[in-house]
Amino acid sequence: MKIKLLAILLCFPTFAFASEKPGTASGGGKEYSPYINLDFPQNAYFGDTHLHTSYSTDAGMVGNSTTPDMAYRVSKGEQITSPTGLKFKLKRPLDFIVISDHAENLGLAPMINRSDPAVMESEQGKKWHDMFKAGDGYKAFLEWLAYGGDNNDPIKSNKMMGSAWNDIMTAAEQHNEPGVFTALHGFEWTSMPRGNNLHRNVIFRDGKDKVSQILPMSSYDSQDPEDLWKYMQAYEDKTGGQVFAIPHNGNISNGLMFAPETYTSKKPLDADYAKRRQQWEPIYEVSQAKGDGETHPFLSPDDQFSDFETLDQGNLSGRAPKTPEMLKYEYAREALKMGLDYEQKLGVNPFKFGLIGSTDAHNGIPSTTEENNFSKANIVEPSPTRFEHVLVKGAVDDKLSITALDLGAAGLAGVWAKENTREEIWDAFARKEVFATTGSRIRVRFFGGFNFSENDVFKQNYAQLGYEKGVPMGGDITKAPAGKAPNFMVLAVKDPEGANLDRIQVVKGWLGANGKTQEKVFDVVVSDDRKPGFFNKKMPDVGSTVDIKDASYTNTIGDALLSTVWTDPEFNASQKAFYYARVIEIPTPRWTAYDQKAYGVTAPKGTALVVQDRAYTSPIWYTP
Amino acid sequence: MKSLLNVTLVVLIFSTFAYQSVVAQDAPPPGKKKVEYSPYPEKSFPNSVYFGDTHLHTSFSTDAGMVGNSRGPEDAYRLARGEVITSSFGLKVQLSRPLDFLVISDHAENFGLAPAIAESNPDLLKYAWGQEIHDKVKTKDPTGAFDMWIKQVNAKDDKLAGSGMSKAFWQRSNEISEKYNEPGLFTALIGYEWTSMPNGNNLHRNIVFRDNMDKTSQVVPMSSYDSVDPEDLWAWLAAYEKKTGGKALAIPHNGNISNGTMFDDITLTTKKPIDNDYAQRRMRWEPLYEVTQIKGDGEAHPALSPNDEFADFYTWDTGTLGPETTTPEMWPRDYARAALKRGLVYEEKLGTNPFKFGMIGSTDAHTSIPSTEEDNFFGKVSLTEPSANPHYRFDEVIIARTNPDPTKKIRHFRAASSGLAAVWARENTRESLWDSMARKEVYATTGTRLRVRVFAGWDYVESDLARSNFAEYGYQHGVPMGGDLKAAPVNKAPTLMVRAVRDPDGANLDRVQIIKGWVDSNGKTQEMVYDIAVSDDRKPGKNGKYPPVGNTVNLTDVTYTNSIGEAYLQAHWKDPDFDPRQRAFYYARVIEIPTPTWLAYDRKVFGSKLPEGARQIHQERAYTTPVWYTP
Repeated sequence: MKIKLLAILLCFPTFAFASEKPGTASGGGKEYSPYINLDFPQNAYFGDTHLHTSYSTDAGMVGNSTTPDMAYRVSKGEQITSPTGLKFKLKRPLDFIVISDHAENLGLAPMINRSDPAVMESEQGKKWHDMFKAGDGYKAFLEWLAYGGDNNDPIKSNKMMGSAWNDIMTAAEQHNEPGVFTALHGFEWTSMPRGNNLHRNVIFRDGKDKVSQILPMSSYDSQDPEDLWKYMQAYEDKTGGQVFAIPHNGNISNGLMFAPETYTSKKPLDADYAKRRQQWEPIYEVSQAKGDGETHPFLSPDDQFSDFETLDQGNLSGRAPKTPEMLKYEYAREALKMGLDYEQKLGVNPFKFGLIGSTDAHNGIPSTTEENNFSKANIVEPSPTRFEHVLVKGAVDDKLSITALDLGAAGLAGVWAKENTREEIWDAFARKEVFATTGSRIRVRFFGGFNFSENDVFKQNYAQLGYEKGVPMGGDITKAPAGKAPNFMVLAVKDPEGANLDRIQVVKGWLGANGKTQEKVFDVVVSDDRKPGFFNKKMPDVGSTVDIKDASYTNTIGDALLSTVWTDPEFNASQKAFYYARVIEIPTPRWTAYDQKAYGVTAPKGTALVVQDRAYTSPIWYTP
Repeated sequence: MKSLLNVTLVVLIFSTFAYQSVVAQDAPPPGKKKVEYSPYPEKSFPNSVYFGDTHLHTSFSTDAGMVGNSRGPEDAYRLARGEVITSSFGLKVQLSRPLDFLVISDHAENFGLAPAIAESNPDLLKYAWGQEIHDKVKTKDPTGAFDMWIKQVNAKDDKLAGSGMSKAFWQRSNEISEKYNEPGLFTALIGYEWTSMPNGNNLHRNIVFRDNMDKTSQVVPMSSYDSVDPEDLWAWLAAYEKKTGGKALAIPHNGNISNGTMFDDITLTTKKPIDNDYAQRRMRWEPLYEVTQIKGDGEAHPALSPNDEFADFYTWDTGTLGPETTTPEMWPRDYARAALKRGLVYEEKLGTNPFKFGMIGSTDAHTSIPSTEEDNFFGKVSLTEPSANPHYRFDEVIIARTNPDPTKKIRHFRAASSGLAAVWARENTRESLWDSMARKEVYATTGTRLRVRVFAGWDYVESDLARSNFAEYGYQHGVPMGGDLKAAPVNKAPTLMVRAVRDPDGANLDRVQIIKGWVDSNGKTQEMVYDIAVSDDRKPGKNGKYPPVGNTVNLTDVTYTNSIGEAYLQAHWKDPDFDPRQRAFYYARVIEIPTPTWLAYDRKVFGSKLPEGARQIHQERAYTTPVWYTP
């Protein structure tokens, strides 16, 4: 019966197809999907560029037993047991990580553990192996610690380094899953002359085929960053790959991180140095467990939010105290300002970097949230006595110690990329389209240009407009049209599982007419319809809902989304400047409050129990 | 010489003294129980929403692969995970954002026939019919080939029965799912579609397995050749579980084109009134219903919900996939809200509610392309991929093709670029997602990724909404979507907390509503829609209704702005009309501000002239699974 025959099973008929040839249905070669043509990042990916495992000797030899495989698994959301035997799980999986184990005798602990021939062939290695197996591992570690600095490699074994590097690369290849999870190859080069921190994380864009052609450079090879840049250049020349380095913790460098002279030759920075630094170090890690490095209250006395997780007692080894004149060479905002001055003088800005956060955790656990703070290493993992624990004991003076209480639950690297692959994530870092958070997953977009209209930020394609009419974070704007001041489109969404937002600020730094650098913080949009005070012109505080005893807060204050278009009201077209956005959350309990509740203990007087976590975008630079 | 300086020059981070002293303190006293710290190992309640499609066809579906879809499961997974692929008709396509999970639900009926023909599969060629259809395709007579297949399908005469072809392609499909499944990051649930449609009345079900292929490959999918009766499907699912120790569920869809058979009062084969046993089995195997997809939205019908101003959304209500016309008395057995209401009556009568289902959306795309963005709609089937030529894209008849009455025909320009399945779960794994589906902690969206959470209980107070541990508190003191409230405490009424966040890359929210359905004291079903959170500080008018949110859509540029509506809405709502003796259900509906439809984007891209009645502006939405109240 005819009707029956035509009662097609599903939804498509025969006669339709008959007249149709593949290719003719579409729009004559015209593409349709808007997403294939979107040449700008759609997604913010969150990750950690700075995570250590047992392959870092200062981790593995002292009980941080988490392997690279475990670190990847925990980052992907699995539960693991921490080095101190506690169950751990992230609140949410990360999108990418870099395992950045220290290059100095990379893999010594696991290789001792398995009596690897590479370590047994070395006299020193075998000695430490035997001590370790005899139960004197900690003593072996102390002996190992005594080495350090140029040409002072106690083991000097490329075989050992090669074997460890291969293990780490293999784990990265195994866990890298283009589109869903990115495992970037990397390591940490651990330069710290006299205990002053000059560490850099070296991060490769490439796969094992290229990265396996080299071995990590260690500080035994050289402590001079310029030599690290040479090493990176040699890597690129040899393999055709790409690599950059991310310095961190200027706050414990005692004035060395952004010093005005070169490391070895002690010469003033010149254009060539500036060019190379900018080339090899596009990013600075501004927030991590060992303190926040955006700015310092001494440097930014008018900035009410500048004193955040400040760690400024001394250098990394706890040996040398801090003196105020060091500070300007240690903090990101000041360095960004000095960079403008250098650019004026040298023609190149040596300190033109984007900002990210990361953990620097040595227990293989990239925890960044206050209520789940597994901190920096096994010895400062959660414990009823954690408040008394010390990470680095001051060599001569206890005041120089870095204690558990000094450590923040931080931070994360936010990356605007088109997809979650090594190439796209790395490229976003290279062009500085990244932002730092102090641990939460605030999602912030920031664009600068001259032609944004107030309504643009409400448009569904605001991001597209951002790219069309301006530049994203990390970008440059130049040559203001006559009579125009730069304007900035900013949109921040709170962490969906976190706290509301208090405000968005734009931090401006510029080089004044007198040749002096200046800074100013503008509140560009605030929550809850607050208005500045009539007399002091200051925005009132957002308030606090924190219940310290209960270690809780409520989102009854603040807003879930803040956005605006802001125009610089004090713009001078002839002055170099930079602008970055800072997004502040409402107050929430600090990890110390969660510890108090979890263990029924009381933190020492003066301990911070409340934080306002935040995000810092990479700057946009204006050049006349 | 090793100076003192050198010794304290710690390369790394630990000073020697600190470590020693701290280690000494750190040793836990023997016998003392360790206090865990990380809150997350112990927390099992869902903390993430995963968005996916439970209903996507590839070339392995014969009605896709033999009519233009040349993209197999691998292409579909790659696209779903964020890659660019080329569509069957040569267009590049990428999703705005990757999906979190995907069920490739290829039709069981001659599973894999098109790719088997393409590769001249020996299992196929062993059969005369197989050789013939193969040769037709290879000699450029695809129409003749498709005719051959349709004929035997309609005759329920599987000419390839016993050939092993479908088993082999099922195996292959399973292997591809295993390859793309990445626990924690991307879930490829194994599934297929059972395609029952007696007389063209749609009774399709998607089967979704919890298991890996070690179990799923032990069976060959049951097809409608085996039976068109859902009760037989349930028996087959039971046999699967018994044989393998695995788990499976079935998700029906498109009651709107079932002519009253989707939520019928009688059984399909024996035509007996449904009874308690039927109701129990139905709920055992079919916890979910796909309420929105390309072929129309099935939440509510304007004639059944005349006071609901949002009820008429992609209403496809005139016919089926066969020749018969849909008549108004069928609608109560076609639409989800009506079925949920009738379910309450059945529960009273039989002791079991046969229609106590959760709601999801999915695409049912036959293109291997699960796109649901309005500006990225690739159509129902490959022939309706984006094109300047309206012949297929707009004019192709999808519904009532064989109905003699031309007014009943529904053409592709009325297709919805819909929908998505949103799953509240702890982990993005097969087990975690499937378990959420089984307990109905899911919701439907019409394609947007808005995020909505519902808790229902007796004791929530307004300030609970703002708790930093909102979800944990919600679970401790009530139930989430899909849950049950029982035996109301004296003088208490059900209280719902709802929090909704817009799609971060999408449109602001207009309002949050609660849909209540109940059985009144006369045994009659009733419904009511409450606006519980409304954007922009609007106040109700004299008629008690809120004014519309407004409209920012610019049809020239095909844009909208988020200058109206809100990014976030929340509400604490207590049922003001509660009667503890009456069965009821409550679900949330979240409405976005008006945005342009795919037709408006087509007009912009191709300059297409739109057919009369083409809808260029709509308000996308989400429907949560209900919470049921039982006295």
